[in-house]
Amino acid sequence: MLQFLTKRLIGLLFVILGVTFLTFIMGYFAPGDPIVQLLGQHFSRAEYLQLKHAYGLDLPWYQQYYNFLKHLVQFDFGYSYQYKNRAVWDILKDGVPISAELGLWALLIQVLVGVPLGIFSALKANSWLDTTNMGVMLAIYAVPVFVLGVLVQVAIVWLDQHVGFGWPAANWGNAWSYSWSDIQFKLFPILVYAATGVAYFARLSRTSMLEVLRQDYVRTARAKGMTERVVVYRHAFGNILIPIITYLGYAISFLVAGAFFIELIFNIPGIADITLSSIQNLDYPVIQATTVLLAVVVVLGNLLADILYTVVDPRIKVS
Amino acid sequence: MDTKDQQSESVSPGVMLPDTTLVPTILTPDTGTYPIEGDQKKKSTSPLQDSLRRLRRDKRAMVSIGVIVFFIVLALIGPPIYQHVGGPYQSSVNGVVGPSQYHSFSYEELGQNTQDQLPSAHNWLGTDEIGRDILARLMQGVLISLAVALVVELVDIALGVLIGVLAGYYGGWIDQLLARFTDLMFAFPGLLFVILIAGIFGNWADIHLSKIPVVGPNGNARLLLVSLALAFTTWPLMARYVRGQTLQLKEQQFIEAARSSGTSSWGIIIRHIIPNLFSLVIVVATLDISNTIIGEAGISFLGLGVQAPGSSIGLMIAAGSQQILAGHFWEVLVPCCVLAAIVLAFSFLGDGLRDAFDPKSKD
Repeated sequence: MLQFLTKRLIGLLFVILGVTFLTFIMGYFAPGDPIVQLLGQHFSRAEYLQLKHAYGLDLPWYQQYYNFLKHLVQFDFGYSYQYKNRAVWDILKDGVPISAELGLWALLIQVLVGVPLGIFSALKANSWLDTTNMGVMLAIYAVPVFVLGVLVQVAIVWLDQHVGFGWPAANWGNAWSYSWSDIQFKLFPILVYAATGVAYFARLSRTSMLEVLRQDYVRTARAKGMTERVVVYRHAFGNILIPIITYLGYAISFLVAGAFFIELIFNIPGIADITLSSIQNLDYPVIQATTVLLAVVVVLGNLLADILYTVVDPRIKVS
Repeated sequence: MDTKDQQSESVSPGVMLPDTTLVPTILTPDTGTYPIEGDQKKKSTSPLQDSLRRLRRDKRAMVSIGVIVFFIVLALIGPPIYQHVGGPYQSSVNGVVGPSQYHSFSYEELGQNTQDQLPSAHNWLGTDEIGRDILARLMQGVLISLAVALVVELVDIALGVLIGVLAGYYGGWIDQLLARFTDLMFAFPGLLFVILIAGIFGNWADIHLSKIPVVGPNGNARLLLVSLALAFTTWPLMARYVRGQTLQLKEQQFIEAARSSGTSSWGIIIRHIIPNLFSLVIVVATLDISNTIIGEAGISFLGLGVQAPGSSIGLMIAAGSQQILAGHFWEVLVPCCVLAAIVLAFSFLGDGLRDAFDPKSKD
């Protein structure tokens, strides 16, 4: 088990290194001189050189990359180009809890709604309930998240205008607090954010469940006279967890990409929203920091999946 | 091909006819096995013919092909026809304008009767918030989506097959490199990479790439960047699939036979392995197309893809979503539905192809 985890950990460290290098090199080759942008129209050459030195941009690229890594390890993301003398972390610190809240709720809903829906469908396989459920799930899975988001927004506004629903169509309440107005703000963005994953988890657990139910040991359990309940939840359920955990890592990666759309559509001031506005301003230190942060989230998700493997799969524990 | 024609017709006329048109010779390496005079009545079908017959029975996949063909035709010959429909009229702002102007995707007209219109005989799908014709913009947007999908899939297939086959056949350092690289690309959310590339190098592309004829103008310059970035993120998956299939293939007896009869490695790869990857590559590429179309639309939705005078479905959804609060739902619903239809069609077709090519699903 330890060997398995160490191997995965080394792989993930390599991934982090690769991601930091990609983000660094993109910023390094990015067109435009941030120092000129910072100084505005009138500046002397001495001022220019001094500021360039202050940001460490006069060093060769490998030294810049080394410094970048060194600061990352110390959780020091440097200073923003756009807002002089403002630390990058200062810009990010309001966005991080909001995005984390959005993502954690979405992930929770994906697993807690998607998996039961899939199992339910598998147990009623080929009935009208199953086909309707899977048809809806396929449609939700295939339609891009920003189309879903926009459609939900249209529905809210239509209800507001024609039925007097009185529900907010955008914005975010206070992070991690759940008064009625906060819930009103948060409910629909989280549901839309979770929808794609719910659909995927449902489809995945249906197929896995159907496959497991065809196995010999399930037939044996039934032959022994076990009730259907015990067969499904004791014998079969544990075995569908492995593909579900495998997908968990991908689900987090999809959530990170989806954040850009959800935060834009519902006007949520999260970390993806900050990334988008710093892309507009070509504020590379912020872009680099958010990219590394998001990549670390994905890598941690994969690590979580690996750890969960060792819990549910006894084969890994033994080897 | 003549004998085959007659033969298949004699077995089941009508149903079998399209087969001969759908089976290009490159796909069936075993072209030596044409039926001889004696067993005219016995039907010997190649695996590909079997697959295509299964595909034709799949109603969902056939409807999807219909939808896809409809959108391709619409994008290619829709605009020139639409620009000849309707007569000139006296505009309050721009003088007399003919249909070739007001039915083009970039014509704007601000006015009481030209902004935010519902469908009419004049503008078949209505107009948007600055008086542009929605149908014209939609057709241009579909064209952009399909063009990007085509470019990305070509790069995806070329790179994915090349690297995948090399990694699977030779193993060694190229295999290691591919494995590490795919790990990296899986951990780095693909869309985030495309967002960064499009965002950071977008302005540069607007200035420098817009001079390229055909693909450059109309705010499409960034699409080159977006396409390359999308291809860059999709090929590792293709390569991984191809690698897996190659690993299986190279252990099979016909490869061994080819090797023992003195065929070189390159000969084996080109003549025996790559033709056998056909079904896998087609299925993966079809499924990738819907992801690519979503990707391009998403990037344009974020404002990092196609720029203002140009049109893209994503850009239309973004513009339309600004009009939701004003109650002009139509402008956002149309592009949403079209995007959903295209994406669903490619996904269903991909699913259908996968089932059809699966040797386990024997009718």
